[in-house]
Amino acid sequence: MKVYLIADFNLDTLGNYLANSESSLQISVSSAPFGQVIPALLQAHEAPPADFAVVWTSPETMVPSFAESLNYATIDEDRLLAEVHEFAECLRKAQKHYRAIFVMSWTLPYYRRGNGILNLKGQGARKLLLKMNLKLAEELEDSGSIYLLDAQRWTDAVGKNSYSPKLWYMTKTRFHADVLRRAASDINAAISGVLGDCKKLVIVDLDNTLWGGVVGDLGWQNLKLGGHDYLGEAFIDFQKALKGLRNRGVLLAIASKNEESVALEALAKHPEMVLRPEDFAAWRINWNDKAANIVELAAQLNLGLQSAVFIDDNPVERARVREALPEVQVPDWPDDKTLFASRLLELDCFDSAYATVEDASRSQFYADEKQRGSYRKTVNSAEEWLLSLQTEVSVEELSDVNRIRVIQLLNKTNQMNLTTRRVSEQELEDWLQQHNRKLWAFRVKDKFGDSGLTGVLSVEMQSGIARIVDFVLSCRVIGRRVEDAMVAFAAEYCAAAGLEELHANYLPTAKNKPCLSFWMSSGFSYDEEENRFGWLLSKPYPFPKGVGIRRPQTGGTSQSQQRVSRESEGVVLPVFTNSD
Amino acid sequence: MNMDGTNSFGSSVKEPSANGTSLLDGVLRVMYDSIAEVNLQLPEHQRIEKSLTTILLGDGGRLDSLGLVNFIVITEQKLEEFLGVRIDLTENDPFSPNTGHFRTVQSLATYICELAENRVGRPLS
Repeated sequence: MKVYLIADFNLDTLGNYLANSESSLQISVSSAPFGQVIPALLQAHEAPPADFAVVWTSPETMVPSFAESLNYATIDEDRLLAEVHEFAECLRKAQKHYRAIFVMSWTLPYYRRGNGILNLKGQGARKLLLKMNLKLAEELEDSGSIYLLDAQRWTDAVGKNSYSPKLWYMTKTRFHADVLRRAASDINAAISGVLGDCKKLVIVDLDNTLWGGVVGDLGWQNLKLGGHDYLGEAFIDFQKALKGLRNRGVLLAIASKNEESVALEALAKHPEMVLRPEDFAAWRINWNDKAANIVELAAQLNLGLQSAVFIDDNPVERARVREALPEVQVPDWPDDKTLFASRLLELDCFDSAYATVEDASRSQFYADEKQRGSYRKTVNSAEEWLLSLQTEVSVEELSDVNRIRVIQLLNKTNQMNLTTRRVSEQELEDWLQQHNRKLWAFRVKDKFGDSGLTGVLSVEMQSGIARIVDFVLSCRVIGRRVEDAMVAFAAEYCAAAGLEELHANYLPTAKNKPCLSFWMSSGFSYDEEENRFGWLLSKPYPFPKGVGIRRPQTGGTSQSQQRVSRESEGVVLPVFTNSD
Repeated sequence: MNMDGTNSFGSSVKEPSANGTSLLDGVLRVMYDSIAEVNLQLPEHQRIEKSLTTILLGDGGRLDSLGLVNFIVITEQKLEEFLGVRIDLTENDPFSPNTGHFRTVQSLATYICELAENRVGRPLS
């Protein structure tokens, strides 16, 4: 990954941390000329190509009115906010040249006490700074790939040493190395978040992790949890922090050495328990090896081990899992239970660049999936089960409503992914400018619940051949014939457009073998040399039985299929209307 | 140094521990911790050793100017936590590469001990 640093002070130390970190990202760094922030943003096309840009400025440099206010001059606050707007405009102009831009919020050194008790009144410096940061956040709210990072967290963590006048005068470095190291860590996490590489599952122990004491010895009534006890409060806050993760879309699971019934009773009955059994997507509560249990949990939830974080108060258990399952993240965990909540809250492995409805409802999805699984046991065959699910697939074109989820799917999906193409929002917009390219999003629901937007398919049409560029399906719905419905829809569309063949070039990765398995059984012909699947569009591709398809609405009132002629490539692109 | 053991800024000077750990040992621990932090900024083949003979400045040294200044600032901060007094390692123009205090880890450690004792007004080890 290439990162371009743009700053009005010396950021070489940050660059060194990024380039030499132990992260798997392997970052190489280049820097804009010192102090040339605005030219670097406005002439981003002339800069060395980079995947990401980091923009770190001083508030008094970027906002001249603020510099005046630091000397207690009376300023025009509208002018101040207009200058913030101008800075945001420059960021937006640079946006299309990078997958993402990370901008640091503005901070002031602790020793600037301003006018004391008036610092947060009137035109006090701290008050103006709050307004500027808020204005900048609001300006960037809808700028999809520009992220404002909270620099205040880093300076708070380092304390009074965060600003070093000596460093400034000797090297024009504004911040202590400790601040820059924390910034580098958060930038690494941000890049991972943009790339879709964040953890989706937390597996927790129970005794002395979720509560104080061993439930099998004490009984649930005597556990240390809540009450007028400082440790009881600490465990409550830890459970609340886990619940917060669940609300963000991270799944919770349990790996505990206990009698299952005893542990579940505690979860269900203790009056101060924050987390209840229904908050957990799965559990393995038994006397078996925890590493083996974790493997089973990941398999049950259809997640890779690299998606999991394991938390246990027992260092022996942690060491065991670290050794047996190196892909699982096992954070160092404090002995001091009062630090459990803060330790969890500071983990950066859950950082995601997206917050979608599908994320927030992930736990509900797994609850629905449990019902599907239970129902499966009551029917005679897989075929009967699939037919009875009443699966419905709704097809949509790319829109403001589904754009973020589409980008998320393209960048996070590994298993059912034909080409593993990763794109930024801007790159996808630019790609779709060509008239011979189409992209559809697929929503799936059945009688047990709504799985949300879970599929993406795009095609490029040229010289009689349609090539599938993206074929992506969330693991939530793999194996329910949604894949077949997507292919059938694409084949129907391309046939109506007058094309002759539909191709799918499979690009193998370490994780997308399930995709190959699907295509091998799809009925498409297979050219092993080219790794390409093909279908002659003179023959309709069958829609799967038991799956209803709702085609995209395009605004017309006619219920019949219409053809609209387009100039590019001689391709006639049909306009479908809702046929239901 | 005040009669109650505090310095003129009100913070207590920490005496060496009763088990015989010298001021020099403590200073070296601080310097090695600082080296560990600076090494995080460097590629593996450029990292500097925690050793008395490690060259900090001049021929054979691996730190560039930014790395050296980072090392100085980190060391000053850790020394303040260790000694309870603030020491300015850059006073008296110490940057002569052949004779100045920053030549090696050992020369700097010795210099720091002298500065610390001068600041406190008595030997600390």
